[in-house]
Amino acid sequence: MNHKLTVVIIEDEKNICTFIETALENHDYKTVAAHTGKEGLSYIASLCPDVVLLDLGLPDIDGMDIIRQVREFSAVPILVISARTSESEKVAALDAGADDYITKPFGTSELLARIRTALRHSQMSASSPKSSESVYRCGDLTINFDKRLVTIADREVHLTQIEYKLVSLLALNAGRVLTYDFIINHIWGPYADSNNQILRVNMAHIRRKMEENPADPKYISTEIGVGYRMREPEN
Amino acid sequence: MIHQKKSMDKKTLFRNILITTLILGFTTAGSFAFFRFTSNAENIAVFYMLAVVFIARFTTGYVPGIIASLISVICVNFAFTYPFFSLTFSVDGYPITFAALMIIASLTSMTTTHLKEKNRILNEQEKLLMEAEKEKMRANLLRAVSHDLRTPLTSIIGTSSAYLDSGSSLTEEERRSMVQTIYDDSNWLLHMVENLLSVTRIRQTDAHVSTTLEPVEEVVSEAVSRLKKRLPDARIRVSTPEDFIMAPMDATLIEQVIINLLENGIYHSGSDAPMELTVTAEQKNAVFRIRDHGHGIREDLLPNIFDGYADTATSSGDSRKGMGIGLSICKTIIMAHDGDIWAENLPDGALFTFTLPLGEETYES
Repeated sequence: MNHKLTVVIIEDEKNICTFIETALENHDYKTVAAHTGKEGLSYIASLCPDVVLLDLGLPDIDGMDIIRQVREFSAVPILVISARTSESEKVAALDAGADDYITKPFGTSELLARIRTALRHSQMSASSPKSSESVYRCGDLTINFDKRLVTIADREVHLTQIEYKLVSLLALNAGRVLTYDFIINHIWGPYADSNNQILRVNMAHIRRKMEENPADPKYISTEIGVGYRMREPEN
Repeated sequence: MIHQKKSMDKKTLFRNILITTLILGFTTAGSFAFFRFTSNAENIAVFYMLAVVFIARFTTGYVPGIIASLISVICVNFAFTYPFFSLTFSVDGYPITFAALMIIASLTSMTTTHLKEKNRILNEQEKLLMEAEKEKMRANLLRAVSHDLRTPLTSIIGTSSAYLDSGSSLTEEERRSMVQTIYDDSNWLLHMVENLLSVTRIRQTDAHVSTTLEPVEEVVSEAVSRLKKRLPDARIRVSTPEDFIMAPMDATLIEQVIINLLENGIYHSGSDAPMELTVTAEQKNAVFRIRDHGHGIREDLLPNIFDGYADTATSSGDSRKGMGIGLSICKTIIMAHDGDIWAENLPDGALFTFTLPLGEETYES
């Protein structure tokens, strides 16, 4: 029986690679490590892994190119590992087709949580989207997608049309970071002004309606310069 | 002086000629007018004397003054001395006038040049002093940084080598606590490195940062959640204004400031009461207040608290210091935003306040 999920790790730093391998193998994943981009690409093509962990700073191929090349033949979730803290690069990686990013240094629990989220979303889109749960639950917050109803501790939250669209988009992608551009494209359409101020004003309204303390939000966290991330649902 | 004349470039030469011509022309015109109305030729020489003084004062080097005095003598002689409009060198007192003008010109030039030279030397000395001061600050910062980096590194290397040497003979609990120490100290190290890296986002040329309009509440909440990730036990009470306010800033850097100030309170206040972080909009500033309920800041440290090294020598035994650098980086960042930062003691605890100009919001309304 081989139920183990396969993770391809593309990372040129051997120490970091070892630490990730140990952590993942302890949690029942099968890991394959590649130290160059070329090696990594051939593993992805031949092994059809469930998740790819990709370091952006590789010696041979630029990380962005790897993402683009993989996306030509595979929808495998790609988690970008980057030491670079520059927001624009994270956004570029996400726009190129990466599913999420994790900034070095990170702990095992954070890494595992990101991998689980990525797996959940890839499984959700693989099975028919209709069968995905029609209710999001996290703490006191419940979102019923069928009834378009948002409640906090059983009290209805009155959201405008746009605000509801925003919240449900984030909830359907809970656990993942959504970039400003992605959200604006989905809510206001591709011809919307790329200035993200309108989005941020709307988010401020949502926070005031949904969060107990808008300055210390429980449900939707901000990743400034990149986008927003809704907390994983509790099942 | 010879060296100076030689190095006189075309621009200076042109400027000298222009000034000399202008002043002489003006004086000549004035003299004609004066002569026409009063027919008094005695005072004309005084006018030219004045002109020569001015020329010597405003030009560089001796030459313009001497040439001006020569021209002045000729002018006085030619235009304003009987017989008019002819040069006569036999007129009484002519050599005296000429000599007097020459001496005046030379003296003035000499004084001016001397003063200018002195000024130049003073300026250079000041520049050297400033450079030395900068160098001193850099050296101090480097010393403090290496001290602060070495402390956790020593602990990490020591603990891990102890683990490697005698890991098997230790109890599970001991091993756990050793690894915990390594974990804590490396996190601290990371924090230090992030602090130092943040300084590189500040432009070297004008010590400023590129800013974008950011919602204050998002910056605050991200800062708090980043801090809580590292210090899960930290208790922080946050409040932001009900109104949605945006301020131009580099969000990464402002988060660093908030984290540094909160962390400073958590480690140094000596109190377990929750920290308070309050943001208000006051006039044209976003005002951030971070306060603790501890024993306050020692009065003798207060004036230099943002200087970066006031702290290092005084705190003893506690390996988690280095907040000196954290605070000096806060100041650097806030200055780069044209804001203000200060610390004060309240009856029960310390209060750190920093402001950010709201700037662009003014022309939104």
